Amino acid sequence: MDTVTRRKFLKLTSGAVAVGAAAPLLSIDQIAQAAIDRPLPANTPILVVITLYGGNDGLNTVVPYTDPIYYSSRPDISYTADQVLPLDAELALNPAMKGLKGLWDQKKVAIVRGVGYPNPDHSHFSSMAKWQTASPAKHINTGWLGRWVDSQSEDPMLAISLGSVLPPMLAGAKRSGSPLPIGGLEIRKATLANQCAQLSKPSKNDSKLMAAAATSMRNLFSVSGNVQPVLKAPAPVDPDLPTTNGGNAGGDSNLAQQLDVVSKLIAAGSPTKVWSVSLGGFDTHANEANAQAELLGVVSDSVTRFMGQLKATTRSNDVTIMIYSEFGRRVVGNGSQGTDHGTSGPMFLIGNKVKGGFYGEQPSLKNLYKNDLAVTTDFRDVYASVIEKVLKTPVDPTLGKWSGRVNCLG
Amino acid sequence: MDATRLEISRLYHRFGFGPRPGEYAQAIKDGVDLTRTKLLTVPAVDAGMATVVEPAITDLGKRPAPNTKEIVPFSIALRFQTQQMVVWWLDRMAAADHGLTERMTWFWHGHWATSVDKLNYALPMYKQNKTLRTHCLGNFNAMTKAMINDGALQFWLDGQDNTVKAPNENLGRELMELFVLGVDRYSEDDVKAISRTLTGYQVVRSNGEVSINQARRDKNPVTLLGTSAVFTGDTVADFLIARDDNAKFIAERLWYRFMSSTEDMPATFSAKNAFANREISAAVNAMASDSAMRDEKYAMVKSPVEWFISACRALELTPSQLKTPNQMINFLQKLGQVPFSPPNVGGWPAGEAWLSSATAQYRITFASWLIKQSELRVLNAMTPPQRVTQSANWLGVPEWSARTKNALRDAQKDPAQFALLALCSPEYIVSA
Repeated sequence: MDTVTRRKFLKLTSGAVAVGAAAPLLSIDQIAQAAIDRPLPANTPILVVITLYGGNDGLNTVVPYTDPIYYSSRPDISYTADQVLPLDAELALNPAMKGLKGLWDQKKVAIVRGVGYPNPDHSHFSSMAKWQTASPAKHINTGWLGRWVDSQSEDPMLAISLGSVLPPMLAGAKRSGSPLPIGGLEIRKATLANQCAQLSKPSKNDSKLMAAAATSMRNLFSVSGNVQPVLKAPAPVDPDLPTTNGGNAGGDSNLAQQLDVVSKLIAAGSPTKVWSVSLGGFDTHANEANAQAELLGVVSDSVTRFMGQLKATTRSNDVTIMIYSEFGRRVVGNGSQGTDHGTSGPMFLIGNKVKGGFYGEQPSLKNLYKNDLAVTTDFRDVYASVIEKVLKTPVDPTLGKWSGRVNCLG
Repeated sequence: MDATRLEISRLYHRFGFGPRPGEYAQAIKDGVDLTRTKLLTVPAVDAGMATVVEPAITDLGKRPAPNTKEIVPFSIALRFQTQQMVVWWLDRMAAADHGLTERMTWFWHGHWATSVDKLNYALPMYKQNKTLRTHCLGNFNAMTKAMINDGALQFWLDGQDNTVKAPNENLGRELMELFVLGVDRYSEDDVKAISRTLTGYQVVRSNGEVSINQARRDKNPVTLLGTSAVFTGDTVADFLIARDDNAKFIAERLWYRFMSSTEDMPATFSAKNAFANREISAAVNAMASDSAMRDEKYAMVKSPVEWFISACRALELTPSQLKTPNQMINFLQKLGQVPFSPPNVGGWPAGEAWLSSATAQYRITFASWLIKQSELRVLNAMTPPQRVTQSANWLGVPEWSARTKNALRDAQKDPAQFALLALCSPEYIVSA
């Protein structure tokens, strides 16, 4: 199975979606220092965006488990009524999403149905570019949250993406969000550090790429004397869960690790309002059932654990999570126990301030549009609501005049 | 920057895997034209490459059932064969007297990016590698037909699941989007149409043998890019490759991988017209002579494999002789690039994607590990001050910046430390 990762996307779009402004790599210490010097004021809302790369199959995520057409369309890969986790009389969550079902029951999950954009594009790379730039009709080289960063006062900590590469979503025209490599960077011995510091000084003859090479090394060694042990500290513990030897119960996946870092930095007071994390591998052309369930389980478990960790902080009411993928998949299975690239899919918004429930119209399985699900909600409706209600900023600088909203945020 | 040094450096680092000690200084004396001709003319026999022994990659047959006593040796053999294959190819890159063939095979591997991680078996990947090498400087039409009939590619993109009853679009879409035409040069209806023309292929996973099951083929006419016809794999390749978009797309990909992944391809880039007859060598020759080769704007970051192989050539190391090859593969894994395991069908990233603080750290560790295993013959033959002035020639770097020279001067008495700084310098990580 080809795993569509953020890297792949970046590579293929790097010709198309240029990073508008240089993105300085952050070190943990810079963030830690900022958290101490100028912590995010209490009660400041925080957005956490989770990107699912590869095209998540929406119909096997939010399953229309009482619709006979669902079963006749994809007999090999449908879930039976007794497997799924019912949300109402028509829709149910994938069996792997028990944690998310728990949050749904607490009214903390909004599911926006049939989200997409006009004239769906079935290419991973084009479709993801449309979602991340929020400009489906015309290619532009800034991301929607990058434009939001542009509209705020300058702060490299304002928007942070976990991983060493910045997604186009956070690329602005003047400024950009900052990538933060996870896993922590090792600090080398003094002699070598001094020599490397010298080797990585800016040089006026450097080409753009050589300057970037120098910067990457400089950041590795530019660690201040008093390393703050933020990342060495254990992650916040969900007070509702018994603590076992290995800490909180929960799987160890890369998404879980990314969210672990985010929870620690939120707890530490990082002056960051937007976080971006991601999970790849949703391109399930064949043998989908197990692969997708495993990934959805990771999403559900990681998010649940993250929400639990936030309870141990003072900021649990401030955080809203948004989950999306570049497209859903075809209604009809392809005969390889998988599905081909489709169109619309569900989006999830999760948080204490979210008004739980369904939003948007569920696309009909009977009346397909060119064999694909109809798009019933434009993703910009969701973005606009998030910009207004979560980030508390005007929509225009980011999305232009856009009147659609989804009323799922308190 | 000295124009001759720049152009010759690019010829060595982009059309091969970097110079061996002495080659760059000699090439500066020979001049650009002679060097270009030499590096683009593939010799009949390559004595260096001939020293690399072919790995024993065999058909391991069907996977034994779980929990049987056969499963353990089977799994060990699977892993061992893949490792042998990776090491074999890295050895070829490092040992080649003439770098162009391996460099082009490497380019096409990233283009038709197929991963052993899905195949599991080495043999189909090994066969695909030979196919790519056979056609790497040949005709793109012949290459495409060979690839449509390649078991590894078919299996990777679910071609064996694409039948008249249940079409699977994975191969059809990527054939147009990533291999032949480029994105947005076809419609969604064309994706459905081409997928129907590619039905019926079957693959033996363990050895990559491809056959066509006529009963699974969709033999109805389709309308593809405005033309209605009954196509086969071969005729659909002819049809797509005849389109002007194919020349444009291949020129774009050559530009992206050889000239610049950050700057747009200029309309005047000569590879497109040179590709009129779909002859790859003509496009490559045009590219190597293009005026962009002399433009300082078009720097390229070396990918981890490119950086590693050029370091092996400079340090006179053979990948398979490193202690241990497994550790070498682990380093490449950490840097994000192991041959035969691209992250996905789009191949590896380029440019700044390779320049994070994390890769900076792994590169330093990897370079130290390599340097410990090298005799550092070249540096040891130089006096400390010579090291600073002559190491740019050793590595095929057009010039050291004042910043790097300062750092090197501080380490000039310690050849190992000197080599480490040189190999991790911005001027070496990036092909100027």
